Amino acid sequence: MRAVLRAFRRPMGAIAGGWLLAMIFVAVFAAWLTPYDYDIQALKEAYQPPSPAHWLGTDEFGRDLLTRLFHGARTSLSVSSIAIGISVLCGMVLGAAAGWFGGRFDRAVTVVVDLTWSFPEILIALILVAIIGPGTTGTMAAIGVAYLAQFTRLTRAQIMMLKGETFIEAARSLGAGNAHILFRHLLPNALAPVLVSAMLATGDAIILEATLGFFGLGAQPPTPSWGAMMSAGSALVFKAPWIILFPGLAVAITVVAINLFGDALIAELDIRARMRRAA
Amino acid sequence: MTMSFRKSLLAASVSLAALLGAPVLAQEATFVFATNEVGAPTYNPIKATNLNAATTLIFDRMVSQAADLSYHPWLAESWEEAPDGMSWVFHLKPGVTFHNGEPFNAETVKAWLELFKGSENAYMAEAIASVEVVDDLTVKFVMSRPEPNLLYNFSSSYMSVVEPKSYAALGDNYGVTEVYGTGPFKLESFAVGQETVLVRNEDYKWGSPLAKNQGPAHIARLTFREIAEDSTAFLELKTGGVDMLLGVPADLLAEVQKEANLAVLTLPGQDVYYMPINVTKPPFDDIRVREAAAKAINQDEILASVFGGVGSVAHTFLIDALPESHVADSAKISYDPVRAAAALDEAGWVMGADGVRAKDGQPLKVSLWTQSDSSFRRLTEVVQAQLKAVGIEAEITTFDSSMIRDQYKTGEQQLAVRSYNWDNADIVDWFLGGDRLGYPNVSMFNDPKAEELRAAAMTGAKNMDERVKNFTAYHEYVLTQFPVAPIYQPVTSVGYNSERLAMPAELNAPSVGAIAIMDMEVKE
Repeated sequence: MRAVLRAFRRPMGAIAGGWLLAMIFVAVFAAWLTPYDYDIQALKEAYQPPSPAHWLGTDEFGRDLLTRLFHGARTSLSVSSIAIGISVLCGMVLGAAAGWFGGRFDRAVTVVVDLTWSFPEILIALILVAIIGPGTTGTMAAIGVAYLAQFTRLTRAQIMMLKGETFIEAARSLGAGNAHILFRHLLPNALAPVLVSAMLATGDAIILEATLGFFGLGAQPPTPSWGAMMSAGSALVFKAPWIILFPGLAVAITVVAINLFGDALIAELDIRARMRRAA
Repeated sequence: MTMSFRKSLLAASVSLAALLGAPVLAQEATFVFATNEVGAPTYNPIKATNLNAATTLIFDRMVSQAADLSYHPWLAESWEEAPDGMSWVFHLKPGVTFHNGEPFNAETVKAWLELFKGSENAYMAEAIASVEVVDDLTVKFVMSRPEPNLLYNFSSSYMSVVEPKSYAALGDNYGVTEVYGTGPFKLESFAVGQETVLVRNEDYKWGSPLAKNQGPAHIARLTFREIAEDSTAFLELKTGGVDMLLGVPADLLAEVQKEANLAVLTLPGQDVYYMPINVTKPPFDDIRVREAAAKAINQDEILASVFGGVGSVAHTFLIDALPESHVADSAKISYDPVRAAAALDEAGWVMGADGVRAKDGQPLKVSLWTQSDSSFRRLTEVVQAQLKAVGIEAEITTFDSSMIRDQYKTGEQQLAVRSYNWDNADIVDWFLGGDRLGYPNVSMFNDPKAEELRAAAMTGAKNMDERVKNFTAYHEYVLTQFPVAPIYQPVTSVGYNSERLAMPAELNAPSVGAIAIMDMEVKE
């Protein structure tokens, strides 16, 4: 937590972190920030360019684009962070168990995980959405599974590395059990790199969510998502370019901000140095 | 020595320039299929359920159809129907050959019609009990029942005349790797979903009399590209990458018209957009709820807001050009929010404080399926808002356009938004016949009285007047049961580069196919 605060002190970290905080703010308070509803159509007001009444213009149904963008932030951020949360949680449990117990269990987990690792995330997500069905839940599950391999592998590698450390040997000789060592000693030490990588993966997950939304497989209308807004805008790019422009910018800036903030965090946590020490 | 070297250098550069310049100057053109024709997997008209516009150039048909939907000779010079409708005699055009050199005659017609048995499109020829070869250029069809629709079938691209010997020899490859017809163009190459290249049939001299030119086509080489996204296709047209788009969606029309070098040709459309209502799924097993959903659709608002006012509203299941669309006014389905609300009240669905009706504590929530193309998604969102206005909350589920037919086969849909393209009343049978539940009968409509009327319409008519009467009655009854809500009829808009292409002054055909392209020229 202290590292997160320190990351804000770096100039890039401050800008990027500021943007992310702003996005989280608009996502949470979307309903109160503008005088419009995200789902009420006003067909006579469709395709209005940005104006004082509609700062970012209106979409093909006459809905205020800024309102849609704010609500879209809620969809994009919540879907991607919940999905990555699922991924991290399941990945850490699986990876820690595989790394700690080793043997046949480890081999089984590794084979399955490596198999999914060898496919692009978008492919796994598309297959899963085809099975589960389109919508927010389907998208979350699909993204969660798509990134599972990454966190399983990372946690497993961390656990394998830490397992032979002197402090673990000490804990064991003091009579600590498996659970105690795993949860009190190993996982806390393995947490930092996993969290940073989760942060960066959230950026990728936003893109993946937007991609699924672009194909019409993410959140279903009238719920806005940045990807679906871009998809609608792509067919109207000559008539009303602002419909695709603003959600596109939102995705791009947010993903860049996540990466920059992740970089700042890596520097603050000094993960690379710590890994060198551990090796 | 120097002189001759210079001369040969000059000659070489001239011939090189000719080589490089040739493709630009020659009669070559690149067209883009309408998006609903993208991905057609074969040029085999007997087995295909989706054929693209290039099919009409590879094959000829027995009969051609004019813009007013009347029938005219083509490979058949004339025909007579027996007074009782139980036989037809067709007189064939002499001197017609297939691309592989085989002659076209009475024997080939007999062999060709044999191929339909057991195929996907068997119904097109099923009323023909047997084919008699009277002489080399005369065939007699003995009918199992009168078929007033025979001339329509013979004018359809699904009854394109194929060469039977190569058809048998090639098996499943027919229409994919090779294909032989009698048409004005021969297939040079075909990559599914990408591109079809056609070259002129130099021997062609038997074109439809509806075109000015019956001889070889003016255009020597035609490339058809398949571009799934309309805005990409428009950019290609705008930047000169292609010369014509066979389908321009309503929302891009203004953009095409804005460009000085582009022009739009508008033809009557053959599509109907509609909302199927699954009559087997509660709450839509109650006809009052179906009526309410159907009358909640504000066709005029959709025409103005989604389709920019281009085209016309639909109040029946058939395009306005068909006489069978002329049903009683009381059967036509129009926007009537007052009746919609009353019907829902009668059915016990009471308006709640949140704007959603409820009955016995259950909210009126239904599913609304659509396909992923952007125009469908836009239309469906407006339909969703219109249903909400009468208290029906519809949850949209979007399926990939290529997968949605399989989804319909599950029968789980409640409401959907889709469209069809056809210009014959038998489409009512195809989409609402009781033996095709799921898909094509997305409404799962199977009504005893409708089935009776359907049989009379499909097989009970002795002549065209009777067929029109029977189909009108069938269509009218179906509409009163609300298995569908008609929405919109587009026009067909073709966008082309007017600096590159010279269009025929007059186009006497229902769509842009062989008749239009025979008279088209590339400006040099």
